[in-house]
Amino acid sequence: MTIANTEELLLNMGPQHPSMHGLFRMVVNLEGETVTKIEPKIGYLHRGMEKLAESRTYAQFIPYTDRLDYLASPHNNWAYVQAVEKLMGVEIPERAEYLRVIFGELARIASHQVCIASTALDMAGWSAWSYAFRDRERICDMYEMTAGSRLTVNNMRIGGMSNEPPPEFWPALKSFLDDTPEMLDEYNGIFFGNEIAQGRLKSVGILSKELAENLSITGPVLRASGVNYDVRKAEPYSIYDRFDFNVPVRYGCDSYDRTIIRMDEIVESIKIIKQAVRDIPEGPIMAKVPKVIKPPVGEVYHRVENPKGELGFYIVSDGTTKPARLRIRPATFINLQMLPIVSLGWKIQDVVAIFATLDAVLGEVDK
Amino acid sequence: MENKVLREQVEKLATQVNGEVEEILGELILKVKASYINETLKGAKSLANTPCDFLHDLCGLDAVDHLEVIYQLSSLRGPQRLRVKAIVDRENPVIDSVTGIWQGANFLEREAYDMFGISFKGHPNLKRIYMWDDFEGYPLRKDYVTEPIEVRNIVRTRIEGE
Amino acid sequence: MDVALEKQLREDETLMEKNILVTNIDKLLNWARGHSFWPVTLGLACCAIEMMATGGPRYDISRFGYEVFRASPRQADVMIVAGTCTRKMAPLLRRIYDQMPEPKWVIAMGSCANAGGPFVDSYSMLAGVDKVVPVDVYIPGCPPRPESLLYGLLQLQYKVSNPAKVRLMKHGK
Repeated sequence: MTIANTEELLLNMGPQHPSMHGLFRMVVNLEGETVTKIEPKIGYLHRGMEKLAESRTYAQFIPYTDRLDYLASPHNNWAYVQAVEKLMGVEIPERAEYLRVIFGELARIASHQVCIASTALDMAGWSAWSYAFRDRERICDMYEMTAGSRLTVNNMRIGGMSNEPPPEFWPALKSFLDDTPEMLDEYNGIFFGNEIAQGRLKSVGILSKELAENLSITGPVLRASGVNYDVRKAEPYSIYDRFDFNVPVRYGCDSYDRTIIRMDEIVESIKIIKQAVRDIPEGPIMAKVPKVIKPPVGEVYHRVENPKGELGFYIVSDGTTKPARLRIRPATFINLQMLPIVSLGWKIQDVVAIFATLDAVLGEVDK
Repeated sequence: MENKVLREQVEKLATQVNGEVEEILGELILKVKASYINETLKGAKSLANTPCDFLHDLCGLDAVDHLEVIYQLSSLRGPQRLRVKAIVDRENPVIDSVTGIWQGANFLEREAYDMFGISFKGHPNLKRIYMWDDFEGYPLRKDYVTEPIEVRNIVRTRIEGE
Repeated sequence: MDVALEKQLREDETLMEKNILVTNIDKLLNWARGHSFWPVTLGLACCAIEMMATGGPRYDISRFGYEVFRASPRQADVMIVAGTCTRKMAPLLRRIYDQMPEPKWVIAMGSCANAGGPFVDSYSMLAGVDKVVPVDVYIPGCPPRPESLLYGLLQLQYKVSNPAKVRLMKHGK
């Protein structure tokens, strides 16, 4: 009588798969259904942006930064444009700063909506996906009114903003802000209060505080493990020191906290937008910047708080019109290092849930 | 700024590791040779009042006669910021890996290897990460020539087990 | 695997129908195929988000009958390549195309899939997805609006339902 023995299964969750996260591939070693080893393989969307930057001028590179984290494109523009402004020592007008904050926080809400939608979709919750996408369309309308594009908003320039929002923008923004409490109640009812979602996310994938700091993780993933660190408070850029908002922190370290902290962040963003709309002054939106942008010799590292983490730009300039080295510090690439460590010992369906809470956008991982 | 305390400590560290300190746009930069990098980073992590214990970024840079590896450090509990530059020889680019100090340097060092060809001694899994495994050349070096469009349009066959 | 040759062979096949009467059964089959495409989810980059928005509640793709996005290529008939195709991904794209059963069509969505887009002079890029698979409809834009994607799908529906008319428009024969 033979005794059944098991052998390890090598499963390839290939670059094309039903979840909506992009071209991400994992090679998973399974013992039954339990994971013993994961190796992520990336690079299927590597477009070589850092090398392209060395053959484009500073102003020509702004549309490329849109395509990094394409769900929250104003933040990428903001990080790059502020880095160049720091290098050149340019001060931008007040109205441009307030407009940048409004667009940035709207992008944060849109990006978190897509994250909630994708997490729900990975657990086959189609209704939450359609509700979140319907609400995101209102934000895309507002972008389209101002800049002409729904997704890759190329609104910021070195020295200010390029377009002034039309008169229809402000009533649309006001009606969006008035509808948000009802919107958040809907998400809570359909997804977060649902006991299937809670059962699949609670206590799954524990990421301890010491491990998170050692792995250089930033963003909501770090704040869900109990560390109170947000670039907007630690090193305020733009005019964030004038606004009164809290940084949400949760101490559960599991996937449920990593998802619900994004709802808390939407509430804080709404507070910031309301304060910005109340205080915005009149005036020009573009500073006096020379036609040909030639920063002096030097280097700068500037970072902003992307919805997914900390996005940094390290620019080395040698006095010509094209940068000598442009380095993009991708938030999700570094956050991805937690996946092989945290998923050991869980089942294969939990790996899908843990990856969804990381909110990886492959445009940023692969540059 | 409040950099005075940090600057004194960094200058003391610099004399221990034969490095130079400079300041550009309000940011302290410490330049060392590649062989001292482990000592420098351990020292920076354990500075007395202003420890720089969070690694933000690790990247490579191609200055024409040598290569450099650049570490951006700061702290989660204080305003201190420091940039450490390690100068690596161009003909034989080898430097110690810092995955023993920070686990988050894993993917970043693989990327620096892929793009510049810098080998990190002691890295657990030093393979290419963005390009495919049998790609030849190191793209971000200044002397890399991009292949013409006709060569790039030839669809490669995929090797088994990539 | 010369893609231009493959495309020529496919067009010649539709040319052969000139000498054969198109019966009502063929017309019915073409009508049915054109009105119920099942796309395979091949969203690569930013254009994939616009494809998802097309499937969303506002630009409803299911009013045309195309909302069944299958994950497995063996159950699909149209491949919408939305996004940038790099040299590392190209052999995998061809493999997914080969796994689809006949009849099958390809739509190239966005400027990266059409001709390389803004990244065309990068060391890791393929200048357009038609170097790998034969493309039927090209949709320009960066990213194209959801209405553009719907127009492209309707053009493909026209091409599938009336192969003779499309051949007449293209070659004048």
